[in-house]
Amino acid sequence: MGEIDLNSIQADGVVDARGVSCPGPLLKAKKGMGNIQIGQILEIMSNDPGSKNDIPRWANKVGHEFLGSLSMDGSDRLFVKRQK
Amino acid sequence: MAEEKKEKIIYISTHGAEDPERASLPFVLANAALVMEVEAVVALQGASVFLAKKGMLEHVHSSGFAPLKELVDSFLELGGRLLVCVPCIQERKIDLEDLIDNAVPTAGGALTEEFLSANATLVY
Repeated sequence: MGEIDLNSIQADGVVDARGVSCPGPLLKAKKGMGNIQIGQILEIMSNDPGSKNDIPRWANKVGHEFLGSLSMDGSDRLFVKRQK
Repeated sequence: MAEEKKEKIIYISTHGAEDPERASLPFVLANAALVMEVEAVVALQGASVFLAKKGMLEHVHSSGFAPLKELVDSFLELGGRLLVCVPCIQERKIDLEDLIDNAVPTAGGALTEEFLSANATLVY
């Protein structure tokens, strides 16, 4: 699979977890994943320093595909494709 | 086909409202475990059993974490199991009907079985 241009992704669902501490971003990501279809992409916005590690690990553990992240203005945009 | 055994972590909590941070940490991690599709059990022992008394959770909040009531509600909604030490509540004169919904009074034998079936047991 070719490299994904994260800047061009139009997420099918967006979860704003900025200002939420651990485990809030994970909880919001799980809930957000339930609102999109298999094959669609969820964007998680977070300024919790732990999210950059947690979200990829969560995706890998439960069987989703972590596509990557973008950092800007002190927060991260993390992209996960629902796989199940 | 045999069903795949789910990973399981047990968190033993021994602190209540007197130490909000240590009271919150087991539920913070247990929520994370449940989202990671790991079975999570929190066992309240010692002073932490007061957390299972109706009306107590609402008064515990450690800055930096969500209020404990939110953490426990989320934990239970995600399927976490909350066990409460029987002799510990008896010692503190907490009646079974005073416990919050979903708090399961549990004695040593059953708890030992929980430990033996877990991948990890952590004490807070």
